[in-house]
Formats: sequence, structure tokens, C-alpha cells
Amino acid sequence: MNLRELYDKRRGQFWGDILPYLGYVIQSGVAVVTLFLLIAFAAWYTAFLQHIPQGLPIRWIMLVILLPIVINSSVRTYLRSADTVFLLPQESRMSTYFRKGWISGVVYKIIGLGIVLLILWPLYIRSDTSPKTLLVTFLVLVALKLLASYGSWREQLMVSRTAAGAYRLLRWAVSALGIAAWLWHPSGRSLIFIALLGLAYGFAVRFPVRHLVAWERLIAIERRQAGRVMLVLSWFVNVPQREQRVHARKWLSGWGRGVPWGKDEAYRYLLVKSFARSDILGILVRVGLLGVLLVWLTREDWASAAVYWIGLLIIGLQLSALRKLHPESFWLHIYPLPEGTRRESENKLIFQVQLFWVVLLWLPLIPAVPGTPDRTLLTLAGGIALVLLSRWNAVRKNRRADDDDE
Amino acid sequence: MSEQPVLSVQGLSGGYSINRPVLHDITFQVQPGEMVGLIGLNGAGKSTTMKHILGLMNPQKGEIEVQGKRRTEDSEAYHSALGFVPESPLLYDELTVREHLEFTARSYGVSREDYESRGEQLARLFRMEEKMDSLSTHLSKGMRQKVMIMCAFVARPSLYIIDEPFLGLDPLGIRSLLDFMLELKASGSSILLSSHILSTIENYCDRFVVLHRGSIIAQGTLEEMREQAGRPGLPLEELFNVLVQGGSGI
Repeated sequence: MNLRELYDKRRGQFWGDILPYLGYVIQSGVAVVTLFLLIAFAAWYTAFLQHIPQGLPIRWIMLVILLPIVINSSVRTYLRSADTVFLLPQESRMSTYFRKGWISGVVYKIIGLGIVLLILWPLYIRSDTSPKTLLVTFLVLVALKLLASYGSWREQLMVSRTAAGAYRLLRWAVSALGIAAWLWHPSGRSLIFIALLGLAYGFAVRFPVRHLVAWERLIAIERRQAGRVMLVLSWFVNVPQREQRVHARKWLSGWGRGVPWGKDEAYRYLLVKSFARSDILGILVRVGLLGVLLVWLTREDWASAAVYWIGLLIIGLQLSALRKLHPESFWLHIYPLPEGTRRESENKLIFQVQLFWVVLLWLPLIPAVPGTPDRTLLTLAGGIALVLLSRWNAVRKNRRADDDDE
Repeated sequence: MSEQPVLSVQGLSGGYSINRPVLHDITFQVQPGEMVGLIGLNGAGKSTTMKHILGLMNPQKGEIEVQGKRRTEDSEAYHSALGFVPESPLLYDELTVREHLEFTARSYGVSREDYESRGEQLARLFRMEEKMDSLSTHLSKGMRQKVMIMCAFVARPSLYIIDEPFLGLDPLGIRSLLDFMLELKASGSSILLSSHILSTIENYCDRFVVLHRGSIIAQGTLEEMREQAGRPGLPLEELFNVLVQGGSGI
């Protein structure tokens, strides 16, 4: 069996399934909004570069932005459940299969890293008192990225999940230390430090006992990654949903108990539970907190209103994925749920979560209320109007769908 | 019997394609408090019959009534009277065992008190107490099947449709399931059960429906079927062989 060809075939199949949707993504209104956001960001960033505040903690900003990009080391394997039977005999040769995925994953991510670095660079060289050179910085980051990718792959093969967790922490620490050393210290010394750190880390990851191929783990990870691609596409078009990653989040296990008991609210119970353990919640919290930070940073002028409204729009977009959590659920066909409660429950939950973010995103503007009541209150009113409009639109769409069903 | 049947299937023909029906003129009934075994070879049409009863497929011909109601008349009432245990467990990855039971109880309009007492009883019966707060993804296949069974039982509908329930269950699980089915039967619930383990269901089912290539070739009590086949005293497994092989089985 030619494993390299098999990998290529599977990759071709996956992206062949995705490509037809890209046309719809480009046509959709959301794509225009994304483009508008990009243009708005470019305009804001250009203006910001011309008036950089004194004492901007640029090294910290660089560290916070670059660290997750250096760390992110996912590899698409396109493995399937049946492989545990049919590819198992090829286990000793599977490195041929994975090599291409690992290389292309790293190459794409290095390109992304390069783009982000180029965007950050004008801010860095204008703000830092002793900036490093672009090329060497890029090479250092690439070296750290390669090291993190190697470590991440090794972690996936480790037999002990506790050891893998510890090594994950170590990978974050090593990457953070490497970037920080480069940003804060003179080039020569920091390069020696990074080289020694990398050698020690590379040596350390060789110790734990590992599988030749961690089949089940890799299959589960692949399923999640494919699910994530579909999740992103689902923001723009209706796509068949694949399995999403489920997070245990025990601290949220009580959420949903307060949903009123009864058939009418049964679907809302399922939806709240699914939402609490979904990727959507994680994404929402990250986007929301970034929104809070940006609103706070721009609180002095009208840019805060734009950030606030755009933040709410993005949150609304993320929440729309809730409607696709259980599109073809078997039990929803079997259980005697009253007609229409499904859409009602979705609208209700989305509305409640949006209202929560309307308030939370506005909190950084509270100190500005006495000074500029018109601007801050108008910002809030706009946010409420946006959420009400989105609810009205959803209800209207539901009515239309009900009419079509009849 | 003058009582209204819990399930009535009349002249059902159906399948995935109109030109090639899988089921041909199926007629049988399940009475209150009765356990009926639906038996047949692989591909005989057992699961397709169940799918039609569950409303997952529409009949090309014929009628299906549950508690005297057709699905097209009152879907909610129809489905309220039905509980289903599928052949392979179909669980929500995002829910724990307890939450599956709660979602089912809520969907069927079971009161909170009844849900709590039934849930505890079922957890004890199927030895799942320690797994009640585990996500379904962390369960073994047998445990997942137990969750399916517990969900159907927490709802307490009038009719249970149970497809190959013993697959993946350990011997104690099978025993608990059979005992509980007898208990349900005694309390007036009806069960339509499909299984290949004929020696086990022989002693539990009141009647049998034998499907072969989409048609009913025999139905009735074990005694009645023996008479139809002209083989008195034959155990169900051998009788089944005789019926599906046209008498050449023994």
C-alpha cells in the first residue's frame, strides 16, 4: 500500500468536499462583513500607528500575540475509525503517511506566523527602544515553532495522558521563555539561551513511553479538526455538521438545571447542556473577552461604539452555530417534543446569551458615562437594538420556515 | 380479545424505494401487557418494520396505529406512547448518563419526582450508580446500551420497541433487563422485541411474529406456531429453522 498516495487521496477528498461551499461563503453577506471588518481594522491600525501612545508595552503585546501562534501545532491526519483495522498492519510504516501532513501543517502555519509578524512589525519598530531585525526575529520564531510542533506531535503519542499534560505545559513555558528572551535580551545572549533551551526540551521529550501510532487519539483529534472546519463554514452556509469537540467542564454541570421542567422546555435543556460543553462557548468567551479589552482600549472615542457593535455582531454569528448543534438528531424524531419548541428554544437561548454580552461588553464604558453620557448610552442602545433586530429576524425566518413546512 | 391493541399494524408495505418494497402486507397487533417477539434472519425486515412504527419511514400502503392513533393525526400523542431502544446506542456526546435520563423524562412529560425515583431504581438495577455523572463518550459499549435501555424505561410509555437489546450487555445486564421487562409487562406495558437469541426470548415472549423476506410467515404463541408448522414440542430455535427453510431445517 502506498501510504503517501493514500494521504494525498484523503486530503484531496476532504478539501474536495469543502471547495463547493467556498463560493457560497464568498457570496454570503457575512463574507462582506468580514471584509468590512478587515478594512476597518486596517484603517484603525494605520491611524493607531501614527499616534502610538507613550510607554506602550510592546514586548508584552508581541509575546501575547505571537505565543499562541508559535504554540499552535495541529496536524491533519485524515485518519478514520476503520484505520484501526485496515491500516494497523502498516503501523511500522505510518511515519510515511504522517510526514506530509506534519510538513504541510507546519509550512502553512509558518506562512501565517510570517503574515502576523509583518502586520505587527511597524508597531514593534516604532515602539521598542531597541528593536531586533525582522529576518532574525522571523527565523527565531520559525525555530521555536518547529520545536513546538515536534513536541506537540510527541505529546500525542505519549502513553500517559498525565505526562502528555505536563509536557504540554512545558511546551508553553519553553516557547514563552524563548520568545521573551529574544524580545527582552540582547541578540547574542538570547540566541545562546534559546539554543540551550531547545536542546534541553528536545532531549526531555524523548523520555516518556509512547505509542508507535496513537490510533484512537489521533482519530478523535482528526474528527474534531474536521468538525471545526465545518463549524467555521456553517457560519456562512448550511453544511452537514460533523462531530464537535466536547469539553467536560464539570464546573458548568449545574447549568441547565434551572430550565423549567416540562416538555416545552425539554429541547432548551438539551441545548443549554450542549452549549455548555461545546467549542462554541470557548470561542465565544475568547471573542467576548477580546471585545471587552478592545472596548476598554478605545473607550475615549466613537471607535469604542464601533468595536462594541462589531463585537456583538461576531458574537451573534458565533451563536448562530447553536441552531446547527442537533440538526438531524435521531431522538428529536422519536421523542414527543411539542411542535415548534425547537426553534423557540434556540431563539430564546441565543437572545439571552446575546443580552448577557450586550451588558458585559458595555461594562468598560461605565466610567465614561458621566463624561460622555450621549455616546456611551447611545452605544448601549445600539447594542440592544442590534440584539432585538436579530431576534426579530430569527422569529420571522422561523415563521417563513413553518409556512414552507405546511 | 376485545381490548384495543396498543399497536396495530395493518397491511403494511414499505421500504426505501416505491418500486422495490421491503415489507409486504405486514399485519399484526400487540395487546396491552403483552410481549411480542419479532424474529427473522438478517435482512428479513425487522428493523424496517420498527422504523415504520417509529415514524422514521412512511408506509407505502397500510396503517399503523399506536393506542388507536395514527402518527399523521396526532404526532405528539403517538410518540408519547412509544419508547425505543435501538440496536446500536445513539447517545449525545455532550450529555452525562444522568442528563440523558433527565432529557428523556422532560421530553415525555414525566414529573420530576417520578424521574428521580425511576432514575435511581434504574441506576441500581443496571449497576450504573457510579457512572451517572460520566459523559457518554467515557462509557463502554455495554454501558452505552444500558443508558439506552434506562432512557426508554424512565419514560414509561405504553409500548416499548426494543431492537436487539442484548447486544453488548454482560450476563448480569441481560438478566436485569429481562426481569425488568417482566415487571413492566405485569404493570400493563407492552413490548415489541426483536432478537436473534431465540433460546432466551422463547421463555419471555407471549407471542411471536416471524418475518421472512419482508413477509410474515407465521405468528402466534409458540404452541400455535408449532401447530402451524406441524412440529409439536419443538423449541423456538428449531421451529424457526423449519419455518424459514420451508421444512428442510431438520
